[in-house]
Amino acid sequence: MMRIFKIACLNLIFYPLFIILTLLALVNLGSLILLLVLFLPKRKIFKLIRHAIRWYGAVIIRILPFPFIRLDYKNFGTRDPSGPYLFVCNHRAASDPFFMAVFPYEIVQIVNIWPFRLPALGLIAKMAGYLSVREMPYDKFAAKTAELIAQGVSIAAFPEGTRSRNKSVGQFHSAIFRTALETHAAIVPVCITGNENVPPIGSGFLQPGLVKIHRLPALIWEEYGTFNAFKLKNYVREMIAKEVEIMDRIK
Amino acid sequence: MTEAEVIKLTNEVFVDSFEISPSKLLPTANIFVDLGLDSLDVVDLVVALQKKFGVTIRDDERVRSIRTLGDLQQFILTIKKEIGK
Repeated sequence: MMRIFKIACLNLIFYPLFIILTLLALVNLGSLILLLVLFLPKRKIFKLIRHAIRWYGAVIIRILPFPFIRLDYKNFGTRDPSGPYLFVCNHRAASDPFFMAVFPYEIVQIVNIWPFRLPALGLIAKMAGYLSVREMPYDKFAAKTAELIAQGVSIAAFPEGTRSRNKSVGQFHSAIFRTALETHAAIVPVCITGNENVPPIGSGFLQPGLVKIHRLPALIWEEYGTFNAFKLKNYVREMIAKEVEIMDRIK
Repeated sequence: MTEAEVIKLTNEVFVDSFEISPSKLLPTANIFVDLGLDSLDVVDLVVALQKKFGVTIRDDERVRSIRTLGDLQQFILTIKKEIGK
């Protein structure tokens, strides 16, 4: 009974605030672009938008669902070289892209087709220059991601491509790892657990719980430079799968 | 080239190019689900197979219907037979 009450409270509080905040973000970002496009170069505007999205995301994941959904972020990459990074994450929930707000960098996300088609959020993703990987030929994807890395922009990807239906980590697509081999950027494995109920597949209702995010130490070019894309993707997948298993076991 | 030779050489490509354990190389293994290749990896696979067997399969429409390792081995065998005619 108490759990049902908590779920009701969480969703009744979260969704209206989420809609208001998203509309405000959209209006403000749109106005910001219209205003700044007259004075600033495109690159600078993108940077501002991506940082604004990070703040928006931080409010969505840390403040709106609190205290029903709590976030436990651990950074095991304190000795990592400086970025930009390729963040490679496991994928259990539609909310995963919001959790990228824990990383204090300018980030472009690699997304599937459907997020681009969402009202408001799709528009925000387009304004930030996010990449819809299934809607572009690989050559264009490779050129675009290399350009972003050269500009110092980190990239976040969910190489399973789709949310996993159980707690296992699915097979990885190799596109982002080909970018790594091309650009020599550091790969940061990111493990997210507890998010499978935020919201569960097939439901829109968020459930209370603890979402854990572990940023593992970066894999640098000197470590992976001799791998091919297939070996690299499976190596990183294995790292993430092992950590996720431990995270799921420890409540 | 015999069927056994085709199977052996095809499996060698998976072991050498993708470091897949020979124990996983069953004829029923789905190339995508069980062996973990994606569409970009398949491009690498095609290049490696062309090199191994000295054939051109890149533009062959039949490649699209291949799902399992067994399908692939039979496809290579058919190609080799067609060349031999």
